Amino acid sequence: MWRDLSVLRTGVILCALVALAAVLAPWLPVDPNRVDLARVLEPPSLAHWMGTDGLGRDVLARLAYGARVSLTVGVGTAAIALLIGLPLGALAGYRGGWWDATVSRAVEAVLCFPALLLALALLSIAPGWLRPLPEALRLALALGLVAWTPTARYLRAEFRRLRGSEAVHAARAAGAGGWRIAVRHLLPQGVAPVLVTMAFGAAAASLAEASLSFIGVGVSPPTASWGQMLYEALRHMGQAWWLAAFPGAALFVTVYGFNRLAEGIRDWLDPRPLLR
Amino acid sequence: MKLPGLVLGAGLLAGCAAAPPPPTRDVRVVLYAEPSSMSLIGNTDANSAQLASVISDGLIAYDAKGAYVPMVARAWEMSSDGLTLTFHLRDGVVWHDGQPVTSRDVAFTWEKVRDPATQAKSWISQFSDVSSVETPDEGTVVVRYVRPYADALDAWRVPLIPEHVAARDAKFLDGSFARHPVGCGPYRFASRKTGQDIVLEAFDRYWQGRPSVDRLVVKILGSDRTAFEALLLGDLDLMSVTPDLWREAKDSPRAARLARLLYFRLALWKVDWNQDGTNPYFGDPRVRRALIEAMDRGRFAESVALGLARPLSTTYPPESPWHDPRSAPIPYDPVDAARLLDEAGWKLPPGKKVRVRDGVPLRFTMLLPAGGQEIADRIAAWMQDSLARAGVDMSIEKLEWRAFQERRKSHAFQAAMASITVDPIADQFDLYHSSAGFNYGGFQDAEVDRLLEEGRVTVDPAARRAIYDRLQQRLAALEPLSVLFQFAQPILHDPRLQGVTPSPVGLFSFQPGPRAWRWAN
Amino acid sequence: MARAARRAAEAAITLALVTLVVFALASTLPAGDDEDEHERALPPPYRAAVRAQFHLDDPWHVRYVRWLGDLSRGDLGISLREKRPVAAILRERLPVSLALNALALAAIVLVALPLGIAGAWRPASRSDRALGLATTALYAVPVFWAALLLQWVFAVRLRWLPLFGFAGAAHLVLPVVCLTYGGLAYVSRFVRTSLVEGTTGEGGRVARARGVGPVRFLLFHGLPQSAIPLLTLAGFLVPRLVGGALLVEEIFGIPGLGSLMFQSVLARDLPVVLALTLLSGAVTLAAMTGADLVAAWVDPRSRRVA
Repeated sequence: MWRDLSVLRTGVILCALVALAAVLAPWLPVDPNRVDLARVLEPPSLAHWMGTDGLGRDVLARLAYGARVSLTVGVGTAAIALLIGLPLGALAGYRGGWWDATVSRAVEAVLCFPALLLALALLSIAPGWLRPLPEALRLALALGLVAWTPTARYLRAEFRRLRGSEAVHAARAAGAGGWRIAVRHLLPQGVAPVLVTMAFGAAAASLAEASLSFIGVGVSPPTASWGQMLYEALRHMGQAWWLAAFPGAALFVTVYGFNRLAEGIRDWLDPRPLLR
Repeated sequence: MKLPGLVLGAGLLAGCAAAPPPPTRDVRVVLYAEPSSMSLIGNTDANSAQLASVISDGLIAYDAKGAYVPMVARAWEMSSDGLTLTFHLRDGVVWHDGQPVTSRDVAFTWEKVRDPATQAKSWISQFSDVSSVETPDEGTVVVRYVRPYADALDAWRVPLIPEHVAARDAKFLDGSFARHPVGCGPYRFASRKTGQDIVLEAFDRYWQGRPSVDRLVVKILGSDRTAFEALLLGDLDLMSVTPDLWREAKDSPRAARLARLLYFRLALWKVDWNQDGTNPYFGDPRVRRALIEAMDRGRFAESVALGLARPLSTTYPPESPWHDPRSAPIPYDPVDAARLLDEAGWKLPPGKKVRVRDGVPLRFTMLLPAGGQEIADRIAAWMQDSLARAGVDMSIEKLEWRAFQERRKSHAFQAAMASITVDPIADQFDLYHSSAGFNYGGFQDAEVDRLLEEGRVTVDPAARRAIYDRLQQRLAALEPLSVLFQFAQPILHDPRLQGVTPSPVGLFSFQPGPRAWRWAN
Repeated sequence: MARAARRAAEAAITLALVTLVVFALASTLPAGDDEDEHERALPPPYRAAVRAQFHLDDPWHVRYVRWLGDLSRGDLGISLREKRPVAAILRERLPVSLALNALALAAIVLVALPLGIAGAWRPASRSDRALGLATTALYAVPVFWAALLLQWVFAVRLRWLPLFGFAGAAHLVLPVVCLTYGGLAYVSRFVRTSLVEGTTGEGGRVARARGVGPVRFLLFHGLPQSAIPLLTLAGFLVPRLVGGALLVEEIFGIPGLGSLMFQSVLARDLPVVLALTLLSGAVTLAAMTGADLVAAWVDPRSRRVA
């Protein structure tokens, strides 16, 4: 039996780093949107630790603010996916029968749906009632609406398994009602898978945000998001390595960190492979 | 990802010390989007229009300066009342299948353009005043107009299509002609692999002589980055590039042997200010002018666009034959900008960053279309920063193209920036007239309206020039919409490909165009 | 058999619902007029005639019923953007996407399988952890960056592979790699985990203790244990692939269905969007149903209660 916490540790450290960058961003002395046409595309130097971009803006500041967008999109998507996927998956897994059939149909329908259409409808076209929301949240909504299916499926499987476990049988035999069982026995066990799917979802969403920026359906200028920065970095690919290296590394660290966090939580809460 | 307008990519045979001569005398160019139709007139977008002009000639065409040169028509006369235009066709012009081009073909072309099933969006509006097209004999075409329009000639650049081939198709856009067009131009359609390339072959019996380059191979690529690499590798021969790729080509040793060509297109970047009264800012011409004066456009053009853009404040760029030489772009003058804004009532409260008038801050949203020119994002971000320093708070909303268009047309915006391509003709009624659909800002001025209406029907060149000069002066004073920049189109090509001359209307749709290209050895 | 038939019927209903929602959603999007960039005003009678020809002014439910009617006769309609039959466009692009996605799917399974088994051979060892690290690291690289980087290294610097296009087998190498590497992490970990589970948490330890070599472990434990879960998983990979090839297609100049969907959504080309939705939906549902059926057939205990 082994209980390996190094993965969890890595995940927590990396995610904390990113969160720290996001939180501390406003305290940076540099304005991320300050244009300086005299210092366009400068390599890293003492004045600009990560160099400047195509409009002379400081890359470090934009990176820090970009963390806010990426984290908002990542965590927001995971939260929305959870909000939809958790109740559906739990009901399908625990109650089975008609619930299971309906949820499975819904999952299939969403998988068949052209996600691009939905993303465009919510983002670029921006119906009136959505406009007050900041763009990062709109992105999270669009991504979350199609990203809940793996969550639902995973939780359905977990709840089905738990439904047949001894603890639940015992509780039922003792006369406990459905709700009590759900709250006292299932939910605590279900927390781990929930956290795991959230973390994976956050990782995927951060990557999706980058891809959406690449096709031009991302946040509006001058907002810095890592996807947007990578998209801009492409323009200068041969010449300004720092424009791609730093956001790329940041994205990598975030996605990797979320993944490690997910796996780490999984390892921590279910250390014995027997139960898995 | 899709760039509007034709962006040609040429591959350069670079990178090898002693490059071998090309096996067949092809020139390989690039398009960034699949042309919407090969039917020459139907459902064309900017890409397919450029190709169409190579495959089939019109009655006339532009030369490198935007003046008209006779093509299939050797001469023409406009009646003094401006209602009848007579063309005399030249002999010896044949279709790619050998049949002679006659006046019946011209009439047929017009019928097809008129037919809604053809979806000739690029041409239909230019023929809207034509009441009939008569063909008294094989070499004469008589066009009758409902009302005089001084730029009526412009429509007849439309590529001609052969009646004996295209009339056979029940559905024009889905018929055999649309799949394999037949024209009378210097290049014949040879083959097409959807999503990959289109091959055009030189036409031996072209009336101006067979072009030197045997084949034009048009490759379809998704990104200019890929095309640039292809150019450097030798998979493409000619390409127009973005300012950033131009910068990279300057510094990259792999691009050192490429020939460079710079020319300014009639493509402008403009801002529409909504003046319909729904916002308190842009009804005042002083505000509109002040906002432009607050931006150091020259600096931007130099540092970011590397000289591939020039500040401009008119929709008649210097390359247009109707440009008023006395006009000059609004200079960068932040002091005067502040003065104008103060005068207009927008004052900066002490210690604050945003100007205020009657308790309302000068804060607006600029709409930006996605998927267009890649420099658009930077222009918007830079503009926001420049205006912030002048005490104006501009936020940006980036929208997908059609959603953007919808907002502009329905006047549901405050300011909107987008690109616009103008023609080298005088008439710009659709932009400025109070009734015009493209007057997005709802601009209204009686004198401008009068000048536009007069200019449309005045045929005498001297009188026309006077009218349009006066128009440009008035527009400069009022600044109804603000042109920010005119863009250049840098071309990189294999140095052994000679005769590449650009024109403000592009690389293809003017004379001589690709006919003048030839390989050095 | 009856089960399969019932699933087919359910799938048809699902697809019908999906297309209905797509229709309704697409109809709410601002359509704009299809004018060219020169901004010349289209004469109103002309515009009216075009709209009438394509029934663009009918309410969306009317158009939906008409579309269903056409569909029942096998008519996929005319593309609003290219003005030619949708079926023809699909015929051109389908083989391309098929080749690309089938290869990618095969590649994922073929590469992830040995990776997962290698991880299970010595669970929690350094090599297991290193593998996990490597695959997770790969996952974190955005597709468009990997594509451009690979393109630069292999097509530009080394000149081993062609830069773009779809003219031969060599053209498929880089695109398939780009579509594959992201899925490796998930699938290989999945294989590893199910293997470890199946051998009561010990993975290859027991086998090694008994002196069983890695090859035998692979054949007698690895394949049987992981085959079924893999099949099920493959069913879920399909939707990802079907939807996700857009960036790769754009960068490598491959005329596939992903870029077609993108352009069609931007151009509001509803007939094409619907046809593609039907197509990818049918493939997705078939794959998932197939996976479910196989799983049920092999292991009746996993049959759904529904």
